[in-house]
Amino acid sequence: MFPRPIQETTRARQVMYKVALPVSLVVWLLPMIAIIATAGRSLSDLNYGNYWGIPTEWVFFENFAAVFGSSSIGVYLLNSFIITIPSIIGALFLSTLAGAGLALYRFRGRFFLLALFIAGNFVPFQILMIPVRQLTLDLGVYDSYLGVILFQIAFQTGFCTFFMRNFIAELPFELVEAARAEGVSEWKILIHIIVPLVRPALAALAVLQFTFIWNDFFWPLILIQSDELRPITLGLTTLKGQFISSFNLLAAGSLIAALPPVMMFFAMQKHFIAGLTLGASKG
Amino acid sequence: MKLFKSAVCAVALAAFATSASARDLVMNANTSDPAQKLAMENLIAEFEAAYPEIDVKFNLYDHEAFKVAMRNFLVSDAPDLITWNAGNRMKVFVDLGLFEDVSDVWEAEGLYEKMPAVVGASSVDGKQYGVPYAYYAWGFYYRKDLFEQAGITETPTTWEEFKAVGEQLNAAGITPVTIGTKNLWPAAGWFDFLNLRVNGVEFHAELMDGKVAYTDPRVRAVFEKWGELVEADFYIENHPAYSFQEALPFMNQGNAAMYLLAPFIVSMFPEDVRAQVEWFPFPIIDSDVGIYEDAPTDSFHIPVNAKNKEDARLFLAFAAQADVQTRTAATLDMLPPNVNASVKDDRFAQGGFAQLSKADGIMQFFDRDTDPALAKVAMQGFQEFLQNPDRLDRILEQIEAERARIYGAL
Repeated sequence: MFPRPIQETTRARQVMYKVALPVSLVVWLLPMIAIIATAGRSLSDLNYGNYWGIPTEWVFFENFAAVFGSSSIGVYLLNSFIITIPSIIGALFLSTLAGAGLALYRFRGRFFLLALFIAGNFVPFQILMIPVRQLTLDLGVYDSYLGVILFQIAFQTGFCTFFMRNFIAELPFELVEAARAEGVSEWKILIHIIVPLVRPALAALAVLQFTFIWNDFFWPLILIQSDELRPITLGLTTLKGQFISSFNLLAAGSLIAALPPVMMFFAMQKHFIAGLTLGASKG
Repeated sequence: MKLFKSAVCAVALAAFATSASARDLVMNANTSDPAQKLAMENLIAEFEAAYPEIDVKFNLYDHEAFKVAMRNFLVSDAPDLITWNAGNRMKVFVDLGLFEDVSDVWEAEGLYEKMPAVVGASSVDGKQYGVPYAYYAWGFYYRKDLFEQAGITETPTTWEEFKAVGEQLNAAGITPVTIGTKNLWPAAGWFDFLNLRVNGVEFHAELMDGKVAYTDPRVRAVFEKWGELVEADFYIENHPAYSFQEALPFMNQGNAAMYLLAPFIVSMFPEDVRAQVEWFPFPIIDSDVGIYEDAPTDSFHIPVNAKNKEDARLFLAFAAQADVQTRTAATLDMLPPNVNASVKDDRFAQGGFAQLSKADGIMQFFDRDTDPALAKVAMQGFQEFLQNPDRLDRILEQIEAERARIYGAL
């Protein structure tokens, strides 16, 4: 059996394992530990160069209070949700439709269409900065939630379609054929047969998209100016000074910003793993 | 018909009234240091108190994000006011036709007489494109207690004295100078001062304008002086690994004695260290060369595409007032450009002010005076030189190649 249970190995191996495991765990988590510790440090500690030692005083509460006091981080958080959630729903909706279309119907050029969606993922979106800005201006959605949401949907749909198309193509086609033989309309097939079956994929995509869109800095920076519309990624940068940065406040703010994606991941974890392996082996 | 006309008039008036009562003034700023943020918030609060009908919308960016965002919003949906820097950094946007000519504000407020020190930095072809709210001196922040520990009683005023101070500090086991060159610009401060002290302001200005080759023997003379310091182990080790802020703990811990920097660092000295920190200007190298200083100037500008230029002009005039500048500069630990304003009563602000008052000429700063692309290549060269002084020839050739690319062959 592989991997062999650690209890069955020699004593030396067991000891090595028991030592190596916590050590590698700490090494891997070091950046996380550093951020958490920094969020509890005073600025004076940082100015003395006490980055890794025990803080002279723990000021978690003061730092978090300062983050909430010195920036409108509550508004930024809310804005992130306002931008992220409709973007996910929009991207998932469009990509399910497109994915089903590409997977279920045989028409000319469908491979080319799929290739187009895949190729779209390889275009570095920074080069689209100026045309996209101009387009939002012409559409009258510059400096609004809608502008960012539209472009997040547009840029995420490509990857989502690729993902959904492969997923739907893996489903037993007999289900669709059976339903068609019964005279079920194509829309109802999609809603009552396909969507329930791809639920794990949708959940996995939702988690991925949540982190992608939540963490995106570029599009809000280009498309949003007003302070009251900024998502958390953009809002956090106001804690970074032109010359001087309060790293303790930045760390505290980053922890706050990182919480929703982490919570999202834990909430959807079960779907996520199921989604990754579903269809990996044909039984 | 008459009724219709008056109805139209009433509607038009009402529309005018609502637009007049809600006078939004949008300001985008890169002033995200804690002190800068506070100073701006106070300034805006004062302005809104003086003009209750105007509502200032303040959008703060960090400096790097601002540089990206600025190139976008200036040409599309421009704010009414922005913070930026005087000198060449301003000129870049003036040349692109993106900054408004505000000479009328200078004239109406008599700013030519009130802010004589910053007229040059705010002007392109004799017209003014911004109103400065603060400027500051560069100089050595040093720890008095460490100097005393090494047996140094007086701050150096000449190059020989400066080198002797370094020797004494090294003998006492203290690194003379801390510097973090990961940010690149801290090294440029050294180059500026050395060039100003060795060659004077005219040559420095010509070099910044790309009219002199970096392979010129006079530039070499600067690096010769600089090399003396590198060889005498003036600088902390591994400085390219530290940002300027990360290099500060060496001074706070007592391992390094001096830092050539600007007043925004003052708030970063912990209380007990700050009590020991004093200031002295860059020493004289050639007594035949006048005293020339770097004094970077921060200012407000109106984008050409702004919507509410009238209120933006009101803001410029307000921010230029002596008492307003006194308070803004004091919060910033910087100097007010208005001669009727008073300088904060602390040793750093006063010391910097005294030095600038003595100065025969003033520059902005390396990366504010010369082309941005050239500045980057040159500053990378400075950083490399400080690590490997023997590579000087190749470094100067690289900088010269960039200069020739941008400003043309000589």
